[in-house]
Amino acid sequence: MEDQIVRITSRLVTPFIQVYGIYVILHGHLSPGGGFSGGAIFGASLVLVALSFNLEVGAKQISHTTASVLESGGALGFVVTGLVGVAVGANFLANRGAGFPLGEAGELFSAGAIFIITAFLGVKVASTIVTLFYNIIEGEEKSGDAH
Amino acid sequence: MELTNHFPALILAILLGISFLSPILYRWARKASAPALIASLFLALVMAVYLLVQVLQVGEFTYYMGGWPPPWGIEFKVNLLRVYMLLIVLAVSLWIMVYALKDLEHELKTEVMGWYYTLYALVVGSMAGMALTNDLFNLFVLMEICAISACAIISIKEDRACLEASFKYLILSAMGTGCFLLGVAMIYMVTGQMNYDLVNAALPEAVELYPNNMFAAAALFIVAFGTKAALFPLHVWLPDAHASAPSPSSAMLSGLVIKIYAFALFIMFYQLFPRSLLESIPLNEIVLWLSSMGIMFGSIFAMVQVDLKKMLAYSSIGQIGYVFLGIGLDDIIAMTGGFYHLLVHAIMKSMLFMCAGIIIYTTGIRQIKQLGGIGQVLPITMIAFTIGSASMIGIPGTGGLISKWYLALGALEIGRPIFVVIILASSLLNAVYYMPIIVNAFMQQEQFQHQVKPVPRKMLIPLIVGMAAIIFFGVFSRPAIVLLDEALALFF
Amino acid sequence: MEMLIKIAHNYYYMVAILLFVIGMHTMLTHSNLIKKVIAMNIMDTSVFLMFVATGYTYGGAAPIVTAPANEVLYVNPLPGSLMLTGIVVAVSITAYALSLVVKIYRYYGTVDYDEICLIRSRE
Repeated sequence: MEDQIVRITSRLVTPFIQVYGIYVILHGHLSPGGGFSGGAIFGASLVLVALSFNLEVGAKQISHTTASVLESGGALGFVVTGLVGVAVGANFLANRGAGFPLGEAGELFSAGAIFIITAFLGVKVASTIVTLFYNIIEGEEKSGDAH
Repeated sequence: MELTNHFPALILAILLGISFLSPILYRWARKASAPALIASLFLALVMAVYLLVQVLQVGEFTYYMGGWPPPWGIEFKVNLLRVYMLLIVLAVSLWIMVYALKDLEHELKTEVMGWYYTLYALVVGSMAGMALTNDLFNLFVLMEICAISACAIISIKEDRACLEASFKYLILSAMGTGCFLLGVAMIYMVTGQMNYDLVNAALPEAVELYPNNMFAAAALFIVAFGTKAALFPLHVWLPDAHASAPSPSSAMLSGLVIKIYAFALFIMFYQLFPRSLLESIPLNEIVLWLSSMGIMFGSIFAMVQVDLKKMLAYSSIGQIGYVFLGIGLDDIIAMTGGFYHLLVHAIMKSMLFMCAGIIIYTTGIRQIKQLGGIGQVLPITMIAFTIGSASMIGIPGTGGLISKWYLALGALEIGRPIFVVIILASSLLNAVYYMPIIVNAFMQQEQFQHQVKPVPRKMLIPLIVGMAAIIFFGVFSRPAIVLLDEALALFF
Repeated sequence: MEMLIKIAHNYYYMVAILLFVIGMHTMLTHSNLIKKVIAMNIMDTSVFLMFVATGYTYGGAAPIVTAPANEVLYVNPLPGSLMLTGIVVAVSITAYALSLVVKIYRYYGTVDYDEICLIRSRE
């Protein structure tokens, strides 16, 4: 899309969307939201950049390889966090029993494993949305249908 | 030892871990990705064997995720029947994967093979989780993982027929899961619990206040699991999906995926709903008559097929009817037959699909009428096909006879001999469509005319193991039957 | 009369069932593949609505603990958080089904199911 208004607006708004996405991810254990919705918001901001400019600018924000690695890394991080519990001796995905620092209820850095898992999940969902978008758009370009 | 207490969760963690690791391995260390998958499947199988030994010594035990007991946490329960199902799932999927290593190179494009390993590990991991879990919502999540990855291992081949078949399977499967979630909502509304044992304890007093919720939940569960396990009127997605998939996927889907949902239906009826409430609804009658119709119609439709894999897929509809017949007859001997059929059919049908895959790999033939004389050039494959077909028909010496025997004994024990007639008639119908292939393959006078590529050794070794397993389970069936008797006695 | 009073009390569940039936009707009667996928999404959404509605307690506050105030009655947060997972699953299925529709479109040139059957029957 080559509209000037769309480009200027998206250039102004994208940082705010990204900060809001990170806010929703980080406050997953304090208010509604968490990894899924925060990751979707963050991923949507990257898709907005790719749609309002062209694909090369979008690809510079987060390249294909980085998105793939972040996707697998986020999910693996979840499994490794669960395995920390097994390594210490408590059950799989244990929180207090595995020694994660719990902190005060209501603070930002509290609730041990939930905070870590939410962060990994947010990264994974954001990279998944970007990867889905790129796979569909690149398929369209190959078959000659792109705008 | 301390680590062995965590084996129920570690099986799931290892399979999920290798599925997330496969894309990275495939991109940067391509040669290591297939051995890593086989190694993790083997490790999970070893852990499951250890769980079997532990259950035989100690009895039933549970594992709390995160250390939280129910109702705050998710519980994994390990008893004999669940370990039986877990062993079937892990052993057969390892066996199919050894075959798949060679066959996939010619069916899929190279860049998507890494993703096939991911999806395969997800299917196996979700089925292992479904066998062990004791919580309704955990079952929902694992059902969804299994549904999406099962559709994906069909459509990864990316030709026209498999895309449409995968789309049909996905939509029907999603409808089934929607019905399941609605059933869970019905149960949660009146009991407030998600754990199977806590729901079982809370349902009798809930039913006195709200009698209709349980009926709605039971009906929705039959529709949901019937759609996903191909019970008779809801089987319409199965022929296209299993026939157009790559051969290892067909073997995995026909052999394992439809069975785990029959197992889940059994657990719903016998562990979730209390026994006294179950007798007020004629659920067993419904499952019984639908499964009988499935047995007959599966065989009748299979007789008129011209494509080899589609015939095997329709045959699967008939065979899963036997498992549901075992569940519906509501007698411990019949259930032993039904669950034994789960084991034997997983091996037989996977082996038949592997033979079909080898025939397509070496000669490119898919039509049955062009298979004349193929026994001269592919002897081991056609001998394996013969033994698999003999087991499907129920010839003594192979495993298929034992399950039909027990089903018939169970039907006679509760005094309904019409089901013995149905079992015998369906065995005859099975013979009608399997025997012509075997007879034409070996006893045709003319030479076989098509080009034949040589069969790789990696694809023949699973066939030999499968033949040995079928004959083993036909002759030495006593250990498995004793295990099943002990396992099912808990539920009666 | 009693039935109408009961229906008026439980209008959340009635709306959920209405949405379920609308989704199922669209899936069965419309022949456009994309409409079928969106109808499946609507059916899943209706089930989520039903589940979340079971958690509501009359006169309860939102289930967020802000120290130091302590309410007496909270709305049940469990169905909401469980359905978050369900919504993610429904979105994944919708995304996967739509990508399958894109590929089917590339093979056939149409997304209308009746025309696809016509093209297949001619071969």
